Order: sequence, then C-alpha cells, then structure tokens
Amino acid sequence: MAYWEIVFFWITLTIYALATGGYVYSIVFKNPRVLPWLTWLVCLGLLAHTTAIAVRFSATGHLPWSGDYESSMMGGWFIVGGTLMVGLRNKGMRGFAAVTTPLVLIMMGYGYMQNPGLSPMAASLKTVWLYIHVYFAWLAFGAYSLAMAAGVLYLLKRRDSEREEANPVYERFPSIPILDELIFRYVIFGFITDTIMIAAGAIWAKDLWGSYWSWDPVETWSLVSWLTYGIAIHLRITFGWREKRLAWVVIAALSTVLISFFGINFVVNSSLHAFKVR
Amino acid sequence: MVLVFKKFLKFFSSLRFTIWIISLLGLVCLLGLWIPQKHLVKDWYFQWKIHAPKMVAVLDALQLTDIYTSVIALTLWTLFFLNLGLVLWQRVPLIKNRIALSKAKISDPASAGGYPFRQSIELPPGVSAEVPLGLLRSKGYALIEEGGLFYGVKNRLSPIAFGLFHLSFFLILIGGVVSVYTEFYGYLDLAEGESFQGELERYSAIPAPPSFPKIGSLPKVAFTVAKIEPLVSGFTETGLKVTLVDAQRREHHLDINRPYVADSTTFVLKNLGMAPLFVLKDKAGKELDGAIVRLDCLKEKRDHFAMGGLEFKVKFYPDYLLENGKAATRSLEFNNPVFLLTVFQGKTKLGEGVINRGGHWDFGDFRLELGELNYWVRFNVVKELGVPILYAGFALASIAIVWRLLLYRREVIGAFRTNDDGSCLLEVAAKSEYYKSLADEEFTKLFADISAQMRRSA
Repeated sequence: MAYWEIVFFWITLTIYALATGGYVYSIVFKNPRVLPWLTWLVCLGLLAHTTAIAVRFSATGHLPWSGDYESSMMGGWFIVGGTLMVGLRNKGMRGFAAVTTPLVLIMMGYGYMQNPGLSPMAASLKTVWLYIHVYFAWLAFGAYSLAMAAGVLYLLKRRDSEREEANPVYERFPSIPILDELIFRYVIFGFITDTIMIAAGAIWAKDLWGSYWSWDPVETWSLVSWLTYGIAIHLRITFGWREKRLAWVVIAALSTVLISFFGINFVVNSSLHAFKVR
Repeated sequence: MVLVFKKFLKFFSSLRFTIWIISLLGLVCLLGLWIPQKHLVKDWYFQWKIHAPKMVAVLDALQLTDIYTSVIALTLWTLFFLNLGLVLWQRVPLIKNRIALSKAKISDPASAGGYPFRQSIELPPGVSAEVPLGLLRSKGYALIEEGGLFYGVKNRLSPIAFGLFHLSFFLILIGGVVSVYTEFYGYLDLAEGESFQGELERYSAIPAPPSFPKIGSLPKVAFTVAKIEPLVSGFTETGLKVTLVDAQRREHHLDINRPYVADSTTFVLKNLGMAPLFVLKDKAGKELDGAIVRLDCLKEKRDHFAMGGLEFKVKFYPDYLLENGKAATRSLEFNNPVFLLTVFQGKTKLGEGVINRGGHWDFGDFRLELGELNYWVRFNVVKELGVPILYAGFALASIAIVWRLLLYRREVIGAFRTNDDGSCLLEVAAKSEYYKSLADEEFTKLFADISAQMRRSA
C-alpha cells in the first residue's frame, strides 16, 4: 500500500466506525438530532475513501479492480456513494447509511486483512470487458445492499410502529409503504445490472478462457445469486409477497452476493476469477 | 385421461412450479460447489476418493460428482424450459390483450377500480379538451377516446419485453446446445518459429471430433508463430504478446484477452513455457544429441526431458540469484533466466547444476550446452458454432429486462365533465406497474405540468 493510501484508508475506516457508533447510539438512545451530523460524517468518510482510491490509482496506474482488498475498497465506495446519492434526493433515505456503513466497515476490514499490496494490472484484466463487467457487478452489489438496508429499516420501523412509544429516529426514515417499495426498486435495479454483468462476464470469459461458462465457483454463485433475486421478483410481482416477507428475502439474498465476492476464497482456491491475481 | 393431462399441464405451466424449479436448480448449483466436481477440481476429487472411497462411489453413482451434466440437472433444466415454454405460450394472448389499444379499456374514472392515483383539473376558459389530450400525447401516452372519456397508456408495448426476456433463455439454450454438439476443443503447444497446418496429431492430447461432425468440423487454420514476448512486472504477468503469420503472410497480434479467431475457431493464449535449445556433447566435444525442448516450468513448476539416454529434471528461475546458498528468483521477470538441472542415468543421479543462456554445464563424461532460449505457448483451441446465437440471447435478455422493468406501463383514464356554470373539469385516474409511490410522484408532476401548460395556453 502507498503511504498516503494507508493514511486515508485508516481515516476512512475511523470515520465509518464513528458513524456506525453514532447510528447505533441514535437508535438505542432515541436521539434523532445526531442523524444530520452523521450524514455529514459519512460524506467526510467517502471523501477520505475516494482519496485513498485516488492515491492507489496514482501508485498502480489502474483502478482497484482485483483482489479482496481492492474489491472491498471499490465495492465499499459504490455502496456508501450509492447510499449518499439516494439520500440527496430523499432525506429519509439518508438513514440507509445506518445499515450500509457497518456493512462497508466490515468489508473493508476483511479486505485489509487479505492482500492489500500494490501490483500492476495483470494481463488477464487488460480488456474493456473488465470495466463493463466489474462496473455492473458493483452497481448490482450496491443496489442489493441498499435493498437489504431498506429491508432492515423496514423491519425495525415496522416493529417500532407496533410499540406504544415510537422511536423518533425512525420518523426520519421513509414511511413503511415507501420502504416496502424501495426494497423492490433496488432489487429491480440490482437485477438489471446483475443480468448485464453476467452477460458481459460470459463474453469476456470466451476471449480469456475460451469458454463462456465454466461452472467456476464464482460463476456458479453469481448464477445462484441471480436466480435468488429472480425468485424474489417473481414472489413480489406474481405472488404479491411484500412487506415483512420480502424484507426477509432480500436480507437473506445478500448473503449469496457476499459469498460470490468474498466467500469463495474461504472454501476453494481454484476459481478462475481474478479476485486473486495469479 | 384428458383431465389428468390438463391438470399436469396446468401444474407445469404454473408460476409456483417455476419457483420450485428455480429453487431446485439453485440447490443443484449449491451442491456442485459443496461436493468436489471431478471435472472442475480434479485434485480435490481424487484426494477425496482416496480417503472416502465408499462415499465417493455412492456420489459417483448418483452423478453428484458431475452434477452440472447429471441426469438430475438435465431433467431440471428440461422441466425449466418446459415450464418457460408453457408460461410463454399462455402469456401470448395476455400480452396481445395488454398491448391492444381497444375501446374496451376506456372507463369512467369515477367508477373504475384499481387506479390509486386520482385528480381533478379545471380546464381554464377557452381551453378545449384537445389541449390536455395533446399534452398527454406529447408526454408519450397513446390515447383513445369515446364520448368524453379517454384511455391513455405510456410504454404500451412493454409487456412484449416480458416475452422477449423469457425468449432469450431459449436462444441461450439453443446457442449452448449447438455449441456442445459442434464443439471442437483442444490444446496446441507451439514454440517460436513453429508452424501449424491444422493437423489433428499436432494437438497435445488428440481431441475428440465434434459430436455432429457434419455440422461441426475440424478447424481449417494454418499459421506460424513468429514471435512470443512475455511481459512481466515483479511477480505479475502484465502481457503476453504473440505474433502469428497466417498462410496469406498476414500478421496477427495476440495477447491475453485478444485471441486469434479464424474459421469460427478461437485460439486463446492459455499458457507460456520455455523452449531452450539444449545440446548434449561428450568430453571430446562431439555432439551426441540436441533439440529444442518444450518445458512447462514457469511459476515454480517442475518438468523433465530426456536426451542422449539421460533423464533431466528441470527447475527454472527467471531472475536467478543465490539466497543463503540456495537457488531463488528475485521476480518473475526474465532478467537472468537459469535452469537448475538434475540428471539421471537410469536410477543413478549423475549430478546437479545450473545453466544459463549461452552457457554450459559439465557433469560426468558429458557437457550440456544451452544455445537459444525461446518460449512456447499453449493455445486453447475452441471451435463452436453456437456462440453468435448465445450472444444474441445475452443481448436480448439485457435489452428486454431494461425495457420491461424500467420502461414500465403507466395507464391513465379520464373524463371531461361540464359543470353547471359551464366550466369544464378533467377528472383523471392513473396507475402504474410495479412502483406505486414513484408513480404517484410522477403523476402528480405530470398533471401539475399539464395544468400549468393549459393555463399558459389559455
């Protein structure tokens, strides 16, 4: 890692940790006044995060695309950036950061423990398909994470609404029907980008490995994940699953995406995917 | 009998069945990750077979160690496509009905159900009913009118995308099946300066001919490997530049991610190896044997070759140095390529030594010289005819899903009513697919815009 990258990486992690603590505090102690400050804190964290990526870019000459560390770095940026972007349009959605910030914190911490060393762009990654494939992969991951965040907030708010004394923090979040719809909207966005990611990946694989589909563990998990979200969409549109049931489905479904990105290396070391540059 | 068949048909075409099939396919994929697959993780599979032969025998019998092509998986995929076909077949009339712009869809917003958004807009004096209708048309709504009532729909053809998305699965299936039955798959190892004329015996393991040889055929390709140049930075391979010259003397520049494509055949660069010219001499300097040998010895792999009745075991160091008296490499860059050789005559070890480019190594009564040091590359040769169909399926799936889920339908019904004072009121009701609150915002803005524009035109 480059010197300034280490500095900004730790600043980012510290800010996200502070923000996570702040969100937990605001929910537990029912104090909504700190929420706007926490949003600004997350913005500051994203700024430091962007700087860390920029420093790494200047050191390696390429964006962080491969390896667990770079995946967590770039994926975390998309998730936090996506959270703040949706919060720009709708203040209520800023509360999503209460769920996505801890997720990114854990992801980045895990990534740092893997392979943060600087390396030039591997030959296998030098193609335009990398940008299409990985960009849409991160968009999908970001959208599915936001769907999960909306699901968690939905469940929290729903449970809170059944209590006599409502937690004022939840009043800052979108209403229950809107949260319910947001879950579905993010799943749809994620599913579209996921579809494009898989199609682009298959075309790239044909040039790189000679075969568009090899039943590689990452490919298989991507398919499992795509099928899972496909089921979620069918359940919502055709069977009318919404609210609590859909919220639980999207929370559970995110595990398939996390396994695709980070879990495979725990189990096998034979993936063709360049999550680890060989 | 007919009743039973109809019941079966109903079940097979139900969405409940779709969910079951997709869930079971997901389960098969999960099992494929959990149980070592003999074609994917061979080493794991064989280790497991040694340690738990009975369990592996049972799993082999159930085809669970080759699950993606097992009878279970193929049955599920068949049922999936059967279900998909039946669902599509059933949906065709529904899609036709949904996209039709018929007057039966016109209804009075005061009494029509299922339209969550409702609003009344007073038409400014002097503004005819044609003005708001024209504004709706300008916003992309297709309209039909009858007796002061109207029906409008935006993205009317969107349901077709449902059919196209599911149809794309069939294209992917056809592309996959055509590829499987016309596939030619082999490995071809060629060193710098070597030519290939399409001969089957040149492949490193003689590949099987295509399953349908009349449709698929052997690649008819001829070329010479003119140059191989690996690019390495530290321990990362950053490129592999290969120049081919075809039968028409045209040059083709290949790299990782840039295969050579000819006669529907893709030559993908798979592997790099060393191709040294070794010459074996006796003590008097008489040449006993010599050849360019292809060694698969990069990334610390060990290889061997035979020459003049001797067996040489090889380890290669691209950037050689001695570290604490032991051979090592500074990086994967080819800065100081050196071979560490161990030579045997029968089972007797004759010696161990290093040799670099242009150098020699003396052992026993022999001398080994290393002349040229070239490279060889392994091509993964794949010829399959289904790829264009497959790509068409991917493209169709991507386009259709964007069309269906982002360009979704919005429907508006409206009525023009004349009040007692002669003023005109436009009563509207609207609905959208999928996203109610998003549509509420959109309709509020749409009719606010229409009101404002009507006021301006008045």
